[in-house]
Amino acid sequence: MSPNGRTIAGRDIIRDGLWGNNPVFRQVLGICSTLAVTNVVLNTLVMCVSLTCVMSLSCLTVSLLRNWTPRNIRMMVQVLIIAFYVIIVDLILKAYWPDMSSNLGPYVGLIITNCIIMGRCEAFAGLNKPVASLIDGFFNGLGYSFLLLTISVFRELMGMGTILGIEMPYFSGIWDKWIIMVMPPGAFFALACLIWVCRSFKAKEGA
Amino acid sequence: MPISEQMWLMLVTCFSAVFTSNILLTYFLGMCPFTSVSREVKTSVGLGLAVIFVMTATTMINWVAYHYVLEYFGLEYFRFILFIIIIAAFVQFVEMVIDRYSPRLYQGLGIFLPLITVNCAILGASLFMVIRDYSFIVTVGYGFGSSVGWTLAILAMAGIRQRLTESRIPAGLQGPGITLIIAGLMALAFIGFTGVL
Amino acid sequence: MRDKPWYAVVYMFVVTAFFSSIVIGFAEFTKGRVESNKRIAFERSVLEVFGLSAGVPAGRIHEVFVESIREPDDDSGGAYVYVKDDDVKGYAVEIAGKGFWAPIKGILGLKADKETVTGISFYEQNETPGLGAQIESDAFREQFDGKRISLSGDPLIIKPVGAELGDNEVHAISGATQTCRRLGVFINEDVSKWLGEMAGKADD
Repeated sequence: MSPNGRTIAGRDIIRDGLWGNNPVFRQVLGICSTLAVTNVVLNTLVMCVSLTCVMSLSCLTVSLLRNWTPRNIRMMVQVLIIAFYVIIVDLILKAYWPDMSSNLGPYVGLIITNCIIMGRCEAFAGLNKPVASLIDGFFNGLGYSFLLLTISVFRELMGMGTILGIEMPYFSGIWDKWIIMVMPPGAFFALACLIWVCRSFKAKEGA
Repeated sequence: MPISEQMWLMLVTCFSAVFTSNILLTYFLGMCPFTSVSREVKTSVGLGLAVIFVMTATTMINWVAYHYVLEYFGLEYFRFILFIIIIAAFVQFVEMVIDRYSPRLYQGLGIFLPLITVNCAILGASLFMVIRDYSFIVTVGYGFGSSVGWTLAILAMAGIRQRLTESRIPAGLQGPGITLIIAGLMALAFIGFTGVL
Repeated sequence: MRDKPWYAVVYMFVVTAFFSSIVIGFAEFTKGRVESNKRIAFERSVLEVFGLSAGVPAGRIHEVFVESIREPDDDSGGAYVYVKDDDVKGYAVEIAGKGFWAPIKGILGLKADKETVTGISFYEQNETPGLGAQIESDAFREQFDGKRISLSGDPLIIKPVGAELGDNEVHAISGATQTCRRLGVFINEDVSKWLGEMAGKADD
């Protein structure tokens, strides 16, 4: 890669991660671990920050080690690296934000099996330079977080009439709360609608 | 707790894992294979059987590993790594055994096994079992129930999606969009089971 | 060299050892904090039912706890005792049981008359965020303040939303029927047990 080529590649990576190849609505991957906590904005926020950190750092580490890692055990090494960062995040939450740690329950640990992280490590970080991998991981995480946060804002607002626990005008008063939105089916419907909207935009863009 | 009570608790846990707290429809675990594999009933059956086998076995192994190894050494926070390694190793092992002794079964199930290692539901079941502090007997019921619940959901979805191929769906909703909406409706239906327990 | 089978094994070993040692080091570093967090959560919970924790920063919780709460003894039937000026002001009964998902642990505070509820609080729960987890919300907990537990039958009753309430009854959380039902069961078990112990003392 030439020095000039890298900046362009960088911009492409960012655009792909945020929109063009967005992990959630293009690939519908990795929603497992986070969708469950999207009924409260704050939980989603913490989860998304954790995920983005784990993803960027894992991609960076995988990329740094790529020239030494034997191909046949690379999956094991990737899992190990991801698990390492997840444990660190889990410990940090336990020590410095115990309430949040118990709110999120096992979902922090489930970041390990989040398909996006594995996917980016395998598809990008294993083949590219560290800095590019870090950017790729970070912006894929951001693209992912952005959509899940959108979902959580709608779910919390319609289901409980609040955002980040703060009561919203209209929604906490006159609005008849849709309890269904904070329950599991609400997550499916919200995600489906969001995918629908995003894909429709995407189709127009392509035409 | 007396053994009879444990058995009863196991049955209740198993039932609730299948219906009222279905691991896929209420915890969203195992979504990736769910949206990608549920196009055909036949492949769903294969994957479902593999999941039932692996999940039941790995929750049991992980229970033993957690309570007798990690707790003994006070290394509980290592569970993430240990569980995922046990699951990966188990899947690899099963793959080898099946390949060696039953080539026919291998052709049916073989391709699904590698997919299972990254199935969040498998790791999820092990983590939930730790957090909820289940005893070994209850864990067996939970692991089995969760995997059966997952299989049930993916089978139902595959059945519906096969019919859907004939329907006209808005362009943006095709594929994952409509799958999620159906999953939402299924989740709604499953909430109805809550009253049973 | 990279094609040799031993390379993979050695590599895996080195990588595992490297990352594990960082994790172990970090865990040791945070261990004390994690444990004191647990302790503080419990102590805050006890203080909260007597309205003593408002505005107290985490660093001072333990101090306040030692000042005003006496450890459980035989006379208190296993409950923590709130003492002020050598007078027993109330009892903090530990309540614990299985919620819908995971164990719930909390404290029910009673006045010295052993009948009037001063408050309820939870220091461990893992219910569904936004639904069962609302048992921690002020709206739910404030209902308990000033209720009088019934000495015949179930001490406290959790009724569906909208039902008329008696002296020992509170409303459940809509959408969290299971959590509330189980909560009702173990509150009553633990409180009845404690009342039984105290009654035994009175007869002596």
